[in-house]
Amino acid sequence: MSTILEVNNLRKEFGGVVAVDNNNFTVQEGERVGIIGPNGAGKTTTFNMIAGYFKPTAGTIEFEGKRISGLKPHKISQLGIGRTFQIARAFGEMTVYDHVLTGILAHELHFRPTPKQIEQVEHILELTKLAAFRDNLVKNLTIASQRRIVLATALATGPRLLLLDELMAGLTFVEIDETLDELRMINEQMGITLIVVEHVMKAIMQLCQRIIVLNYGKIIAEGTPKEVANNKTVIEAYLGEEETYA
Amino acid sequence: MFLQQLINGIIIGASYALIALGLNLIWSITDIPDFSQGGIYVIAAYVAYFAVKLASFPFVVSLLLGMVVGAGLAFCIERFLYRRWTGRGRIQLLCAIALFFLLSNLAILLWTAKTKIFPTYLPGGISLFGFAVSYQRIVVLAVALALFIAVYFFIMKTKMGKAIRAASQDREAAEVVGINISTVNSAVFMIGGALSGTAAVLISPLYSVFPTMGDLPLLKALVVVILGGFGSVAGVLIGGLGLGIVESLGSVYISAAYQHGFTFFVLILVLLFFPRGLFGRV
Amino acid sequence: MVDTVLVKNQKQKRARIRNLIILAVVLGALAILPQVTSEYITYVAVLAIIYAILTGSYDLTTGYTGPLTFCHGAFYGVGAYTSALLTLKAGFPFWVAFPLSGIMVFIFAAIIGYPGLRLKGHYFAVTTFFFGHFIYLVILNSVSLTNGPMGLRNIPPPEGFLGISFTSLNSSYYLILIFGILAVVFLYFLVNSGFGKILISIRENEELSEAIGVNTSLYKVLAFSIGAGIAGLAGSLFAHFFRLLHPTTFAWMTSEMVVIMALVGGLGTLIGPIIGAGIVTLILELMRFAPEYRFIIWSVALIAILIIEPRGLMGLVRRIQGGKK
Repeated sequence: MSTILEVNNLRKEFGGVVAVDNNNFTVQEGERVGIIGPNGAGKTTTFNMIAGYFKPTAGTIEFEGKRISGLKPHKISQLGIGRTFQIARAFGEMTVYDHVLTGILAHELHFRPTPKQIEQVEHILELTKLAAFRDNLVKNLTIASQRRIVLATALATGPRLLLLDELMAGLTFVEIDETLDELRMINEQMGITLIVVEHVMKAIMQLCQRIIVLNYGKIIAEGTPKEVANNKTVIEAYLGEEETYA
Repeated sequence: MFLQQLINGIIIGASYALIALGLNLIWSITDIPDFSQGGIYVIAAYVAYFAVKLASFPFVVSLLLGMVVGAGLAFCIERFLYRRWTGRGRIQLLCAIALFFLLSNLAILLWTAKTKIFPTYLPGGISLFGFAVSYQRIVVLAVALALFIAVYFFIMKTKMGKAIRAASQDREAAEVVGINISTVNSAVFMIGGALSGTAAVLISPLYSVFPTMGDLPLLKALVVVILGGFGSVAGVLIGGLGLGIVESLGSVYISAAYQHGFTFFVLILVLLFFPRGLFGRV
Repeated sequence: MVDTVLVKNQKQKRARIRNLIILAVVLGALAILPQVTSEYITYVAVLAIIYAILTGSYDLTTGYTGPLTFCHGAFYGVGAYTSALLTLKAGFPFWVAFPLSGIMVFIFAAIIGYPGLRLKGHYFAVTTFFFGHFIYLVILNSVSLTNGPMGLRNIPPPEGFLGISFTSLNSSYYLILIFGILAVVFLYFLVNSGFGKILISIRENEELSEAIGVNTSLYKVLAFSIGAGIAGLAGSLFAHFFRLLHPTTFAWMTSEMVVIMALVGGLGTLIGPIIGAGIVTLILELMRFAPEYRFIIWSVALIAILIIEPRGLMGLVRRIQGGKK
């Protein structure tokens, strides 16, 4: 197992505010890593720096040995990193089929999709249980389905690393379990490394092998779900939030 | 000659600044580049013209009339048109442009394309550095400055002004805090309309009244807003005056025909290097 | 009621056949038009075809990719004047001037588009408005080059070949009809290709598109420039058919007209704007006798469309179809 992602001395400042404070961590190929922390801890900022939406103020991010910090989002996607979004985003006026196809075409543009590409779309539609909706317009489907479509499209781009941003928000318990199965399958069968930012604790604890905990921009703990759950500093960080209301 | 052009530039620049102030407010609160202000400009000028020509109203009354007509038109446009498409900026922009053409051409239809001479209301002038500056030109500058100060105080000191400032920084946050965005929108449009109307009536005695009189002032005002107005009231004033001066001098020393083209050329150039405007706050 | 897959396929097949029949009828009518109608109507038809090309190209940029632009009239004009000047003053044959003018406008648009399309919010749209007016002013004032307000005359018609000459109305009509069909076919294949899907993804959600690996800036500039280039070609056709150019033909009113034509039909549907061009050309000709009302009616119509159905005719059709189920 080699290192697929390496974050060194990563720092991000917005004006005078330090959102991410000199963090270091690595992710191994094939891992399922979770990033958690109270609101404002810097999870999303870190996430967005890996995905290319922000330039780090200092520090580097390396993907498969190549430096990606500061690259534009589309370049990062071309290098093999896919992502999902917190807020519902989709190509509403497309059919589900076309939506997924676009993910493939974005990486290998053809005038007409090649037979191999068509096969790929079918495969992903099967995998994500969207085949029945192939001809439906995306905008007419539920938010949960749209999220699955965005995930499917991200898969279509052939990523080796997938960044998942609060995929579980607002899902029912049943939907969460389904999504967890899907993610586990993506990781184990397709060999895609996962980095997950989540607030839904149950989900992330079940899915991830390793958890990184952020607070106030700094990493305060790192370890297996069990270790992290029992970590005093982590508990305080979360409880500390509640205490201010008392 | 130089001074003459400088003065002229300042005067016309003051009118650009007035329109730009209104545009700036509207654009920063509602995200609509309100092209219709160009049409409002024209209608207000004609109303004032007829008030003076047909009803023999004194200039001051016609000035107030221009303000009111401008405010009223803008209010109606926002209330009955723009508001239908909250959140759909493309449609609002298309509507604004359509209104601009509509109102200008309406003027052609109703009052013909013939230029109408606005009667002089204050003949004479003073002698400044050896040449004459008409009183009417001084009035333009004086009223413009007065309005700028008035708007400045309104925005800084009154309750509505504070609401406007809050909304311009963060619309959603303002709503959460309990500010009625609809009221703010109406207020802002009325101010913008009043300012455009005033500018039109002030300029009419100097440059006559004709249906396409709003075209260039609107575009110039937009240039002022884009190049630097989003920041502050003062920025708009300086920008407007500056543009007027540059244009005026340019028309003499470079070329009259290309005068307007020059402005746009500068705008395009600046935007190429400063995609967020000179004082960028997009 | 549940549509089985079989019934759905049958419905699709029927719809396809119906569309083909309509297409055949329209093409047939266009083919025999000069033989069965007056010269005047043929002139109007030529104008309609040129406008259809113009509007279709606008749809590529705005309807399919997304950004609103208000300078399509200027691209049309630059193409027209370039082609005219290349033949009049530089002695090029039409068959060289025609593609050259398209390429020139393409490059022109790319130069403006590359930085311009990075502008956020409405900045780009407003800038195109200025840009369009700026071009008009340049054309108007470059009297030594374009004759300015006096207009450019005696533009030569396309040179004939294989014994066919294009000096007569009918032969010119057929030439333009063929170009029109080629342009529409080209646009149709473009928007339905992989390239087209990428454009749509940018329009629908630029951030997501970027996230799946699309270099959105590049594609936006391409769509903008290709649309502009085709508009330039339309301008060249206009110049060599009507043989007289005047700057006001390419002022901002024309850009507004293109927008209206596209909106009437329905942005983003390709067929919509083309139909829209036809309808508006027709109405324009009917209003020949009251030109002062023209602009007002356009503007009112534009606002009315925005109020009633911003998605134009195609939007209405879809609304009705949706209701049927």
